[in-house]
Amino acid sequence: MQAEPKIILVVEDDPEIRALVGALLVREGFRVEEAEDAVSMDAVLGRVGPDLIILDLMLPGEDGLSICRRIRARHDVPILMLTAKSEEIDRVVGLEMGADDYLVKPFGPRELVARVRAVLRRGSRAMQPPDRRFAFGDFVIDLDARQLVRRPDVPVRLTSAEFDLLACLVQRPRRVLTRDQILDWTRGRSADPFDRTVDMLISRLRRKLDAASPGSNLIATVRNGGYLLTARVRPVA
Amino acid sequence: MTPLHSLAARIGLIVVSSLVVALLGAIAIARLADAPDDGASLAGRIAALVSVLEETPVDRHESILRAASSRFFTARIEPTANAASTPSRAVERRLSSRIGAELEALGHRPSSVTVSRAPNGGRGLEYRIALETGGTLVVRVGRRAATVLGVPAPLATSLFGGLVALAALLAMRRETRPIARLAAAVDLLDPSGPRVELPGRGSSVREIAALIGAFDRLQNRLAHLLRTRIAMLAGISHDIRTFTTRLRLRVDAIPDDAERERAVADIEDMVRLLDDALLATRAGAGELAEELVELDEIVRAEVDDRRAEGRAIELDAGSAPGGAVVLGDRLALRRVVANLLDNALHYGGAARIALESDARAVVLTIDDRGPGIPEAEREAVLEPFVRLETSRSRRTGGAGLGLAVARSLVDAHGGSIGIDDSPDGGARIVVRLPRYRSQR
Repeated sequence: MQAEPKIILVVEDDPEIRALVGALLVREGFRVEEAEDAVSMDAVLGRVGPDLIILDLMLPGEDGLSICRRIRARHDVPILMLTAKSEEIDRVVGLEMGADDYLVKPFGPRELVARVRAVLRRGSRAMQPPDRRFAFGDFVIDLDARQLVRRPDVPVRLTSAEFDLLACLVQRPRRVLTRDQILDWTRGRSADPFDRTVDMLISRLRRKLDAASPGSNLIATVRNGGYLLTARVRPVA
Repeated sequence: MTPLHSLAARIGLIVVSSLVVALLGAIAIARLADAPDDGASLAGRIAALVSVLEETPVDRHESILRAASSRFFTARIEPTANAASTPSRAVERRLSSRIGAELEALGHRPSSVTVSRAPNGGRGLEYRIALETGGTLVVRVGRRAATVLGVPAPLATSLFGGLVALAALLAMRRETRPIARLAAAVDLLDPSGPRVELPGRGSSVREIAALIGAFDRLQNRLAHLLRTRIAMLAGISHDIRTFTTRLRLRVDAIPDDAERERAVADIEDMVRLLDDALLATRAGAGELAEELVELDEIVRAEVDDRRAEGRAIELDAGSAPGGAVVLGDRLALRRVVANLLDNALHYGGAARIALESDARAVVLTIDDRGPGIPEAEREAVLEPFVRLETSRSRRTGGAGLGLAVARSLVDAHGGSIGIDDSPDGGARIVVRLPRYRSQR
């Protein structure tokens, strides 16, 4: 007796692509559910539990990025992201969104089927608890426990605002962040909405990092007033 | 640029020179208006005085002398006979002969004229005539220069004029400085950068305020234009991806393998061209991401991809171990490397790529074994993407845009790209990108 066909939910706003992908997957022996946006996707999810979601990044209404985060919070179903722009790959599979794999449009049928089978075989990354501890330079930061440690085990005391700022930098390492971006990402936690506070926090944070690890020089300033965590960041258990 | 190319200097020069001319004119007019007695009338007057004195009893002389004297004309009689003096200067000789001629009518008597310069700047003439009645008539004629606060009037006038001119110059500088500052600020205008706050917006000078307002509107229009262009291109790019995705899925139904592969390649080229256009436009608009990118990793990955397809690429990245860090956009840098490699492979069949870095720059050298690029065409193939004339893209079917796109992206990273002859016989492309150096 044959195994139950795997259920694949295709969330894509272009009806033709949706139909073409659906037909392709049916030919390959999958059972396909279709949704055109977040609302109809939620309706389908209320009815069936798919084994894989193929999600378009650019959707009308709630976009794929936000849907992806939302699904991650509740389900452990693997997600294969379809993106129109190759420049978004880093964000799609990176720390921000946590899709399991991606395909850049336009893609060929065989490519799609191969990815679908690979992701199904591998299972969702969401099964493993996400990494929330990161090592950079001489430090280890634990985002959940909100602790910074100078290796091997010297705790570094940071204020709440300083910790938020460092967490923001650590989650986007080696990338130039403008004051505005930093404010956007840390807003809601730090109360003070003034531009200069970022500069002040940065210099206080630098002093503390330098005091704990002299000469480490982890935060660089780039022209036009952006900041950059120069260290490589890797998740640790 | 000479100082005269400054507006302030020019207006200042006009003010100063007109002031000088006006001043000289005023002095000349004043001179003409109260021109001193010329020698002729003066000589006649003195001769008349001599004749009156000689015909009058000596005891009345004092009164006559008093009557004849004025501020500019003082006459007295010295008891000694001392009228002889040799004229030493031309003006003295001229005046002596004139007074001599006047006195000749009365009968010859010795006379002399000396010219002296008074300490206050005035000029004095001293006539000495031996009287027949004995003694010497001494007549001093001289205009005592008028003074203002102890300074001779002409000098005072010049000084005052100079001060006014100086004040005018300072005022001029003050008025033209906003224009210079505006020019400096307009130079910083970059439609892709942040808005430049133009100085002197609240200027009370109508013309300057209008100029600043006009530049401000221009800056807004440019920024708007750029944003619109990017948004439009991004929109087109998204929609075309939708169409090409449908097409790509359908193309698989083409039964002939060769035909299908060609169709797939066409779709890929089309999307890639569009991606390049969008990327180059974003680069021109300063919208690229900035992150630390290891160029050696990108080069290695791109080389590996092509080797996996069976292309011949020689890689020499040993000289830049982990030191080829550039602050830039990962995707854009990947496109640069990919375009240059594909170009080299397309025209040269095989490529050799080397990566070196020194203190300031990361240098990427790509050699091929193709026909090379003639010196005359090098500038043309590197024309920035945005300035390409349509004829060229038509001629090359879009395939020749790789270098132009690479140039646009390298430019946006503050780097440079050049074409040379390769020792391998083909073309050599050299890309220099500024190496990232940490600063606090």
